Amino acid sequence: MLDYYAQLVVNGIVAGAVYALFAVGLTLIYGVFRFINFAHGELIAWGAYLTLMFSGFLPFGLAVVPALFLTILLGIGQERYIYRSLRQRSRITLLIASIGLSYLLRNALRLIWGSDLVSFGFETRRGMSFAGLIVTRTQLLMVAAALLFLAFLYMLLNFTMLGKSLRAAADNTELAEIMGIDMKKVGLSVWILSALFAGVGGILIGIDTNLEPVMGLINLLKAFAAVLLGGAGNVWGALLGGLCIGIAENLGVAFFSPGYKDAVSFALIILLLLFRPTGLFGLIGGIR
Amino acid sequence: MRKAFGCIAGICLLFSVAGAYAAEEVAVGSITPLSGKLAVYGEGFQQSMLLALEEVNAAGGINGKPMKILYEDNNSTAKDSVSAIQKLITVHKLPVLFGPAASSNFLAVCPIAQENKTVLIGAESAAAEITKCGDYVFRVFPSDELQGKGAAELTVSLGYKEVVLTYINNDWGVGLGKVFKENFLKAGGKIIDEFSHDEGKTDYRSEVLRIKKHSLKAAVNLTYIKEGATMLKQAYETGLKVQWLMGSASKSPKLVELAGESAEGIIGTYPTFSQDTPQYKHFKETWEKKYPGKKIPIFGEYNYDMVHLTAKALKVAKSLSSDDIRNALIEVGKGYMGVTGDKTFDANGDVGAVYGKWTVKGGAIQDYKP
Repeated sequence: MLDYYAQLVVNGIVAGAVYALFAVGLTLIYGVFRFINFAHGELIAWGAYLTLMFSGFLPFGLAVVPALFLTILLGIGQERYIYRSLRQRSRITLLIASIGLSYLLRNALRLIWGSDLVSFGFETRRGMSFAGLIVTRTQLLMVAAALLFLAFLYMLLNFTMLGKSLRAAADNTELAEIMGIDMKKVGLSVWILSALFAGVGGILIGIDTNLEPVMGLINLLKAFAAVLLGGAGNVWGALLGGLCIGIAENLGVAFFSPGYKDAVSFALIILLLLFRPTGLFGLIGGIR
Repeated sequence: MRKAFGCIAGICLLFSVAGAYAAEEVAVGSITPLSGKLAVYGEGFQQSMLLALEEVNAAGGINGKPMKILYEDNNSTAKDSVSAIQKLITVHKLPVLFGPAASSNFLAVCPIAQENKTVLIGAESAAAEITKCGDYVFRVFPSDELQGKGAAELTVSLGYKEVVLTYINNDWGVGLGKVFKENFLKAGGKIIDEFSHDEGKTDYRSEVLRIKKHSLKAAVNLTYIKEGATMLKQAYETGLKVQWLMGSASKSPKLVELAGESAEGIIGTYPTFSQDTPQYKHFKETWEKKYPGKKIPIFGEYNYDMVHLTAKALKVAKSLSSDDIRNALIEVGKGYMGVTGDKTFDANGDVGAVYGKWTVKGGAIQDYKP
């Protein structure tokens, strides 16, 4: 019985690690630009589908490279051609534009690859067993990749000039600009990071299960919950938030029908908005 | 002023043309998914209906008048099925309609048909709920009521007394799960745990763990193709070793393609009919003649039977009013042997069925032989 709960926690950590990747990207954008990018989910899906396309003629490991590159271009393109020209308008305009963009990108996926499920076509293998806990290679890869990318982010934010300007910009954009921080550079790097993390997460989910056009949307909702949990704009809060959501929804299954698993994230969102709108890890705003 | 006259004259002309066509042809309507996610199936339904229609008309039509099917697309959604049926009933005023595929779409239109006293016939909708649609609603496809029974019998016949039951959380899954449970309990079986799972998720590990927790020999999983494939795959990875028992909706080569190795050995039920009857041989021959090189589509035989049966009813009906057609349909259905077997309607407009068993062996779907 203890095994059962332990396994649920392990699965929760794996799911949470990927949610964290999405949430960190979402919150980075929020921290600097103060808006929630609804089209973030589409970067997840496009990352996976582009990998599928390139893996048609490249070995999988190599296919990831151009796919992530194009995903990053897509992220930068969102900013360059849509959000930037709307930045002076109200936030609602940006929000609606991002919702519209997410529809457009999602349906473009449908148009090109169809709505049917597709997979990378890896062979199914038995998981490995550690003291009664079963973990698949893909799950190990998911956690390892998440750790790698988040460690990279940690180094970047804390030990480089770019990271410091990023944090400064998130803290107070105007002041940062007055101090001579190049906001264009900051903006660009935020979009690169956000798109990269989304693309990596999308590919990991694709390896683990299947690819479908709505995969981005489903995971975006989890990322929202994680961002709120951590306090919008708070990178490490989003990371912890992602892990919490992953573990909470997996453990929840032990107590009620798995059909309601997704309800856990929504219930958390509602409770947080009602009782602690600044997030569990307090302190609104700013990349910390 | 002249414009207005022109308009009126035009409308009159239109009506007279419509009137003329109604007198020369006997038209029935069909709500068919020609676009949207079911469009891949819709084409096959339409071709099968046209095959039967051609035969009916070659044999003299409906008492000398040619029969015609008016197709209305429903974009594979319930919302557009409703618009389609309203158009067919109010604009075209047709007394007989062929209903849309997918139970949720069919259930959306059946109250409208019943209210307007229009005969509605389904060729591929399985939900048990459809039985209660009303006395103007028929189907030539067996209800899940029977499949639930079939799955329970299969489970018992394989010697499993204790199972975990899981079903997909929609009209079809919940209904089928309920029927299975009733029949399995009646046969002395025990359901140790029961839960629904959501449509369209990518992570079913918690569901799989919940099945694993009970360490039973068999799990009944009434689900669709992609949900089934994901679950089988994740169960395999988790080292869950159970005999999976499944329904007809997951019987597809796509399931095997997605689930690979992990689909090996699953056993399921599906409504079947003999392929040795003269009716089936005739159908197969004419199909191959009309559509050379094309495989017989899923539910094609049911669509073919539906058109032939309707034509027969139209021929003997006292008039082309929906009430007369309805009575005629019940009459001609009695003992009618179509490609898909006996089409005698019961009091709810449902037909009986024989259930077969399928399994996956060596990466292919085949009939299960113990």
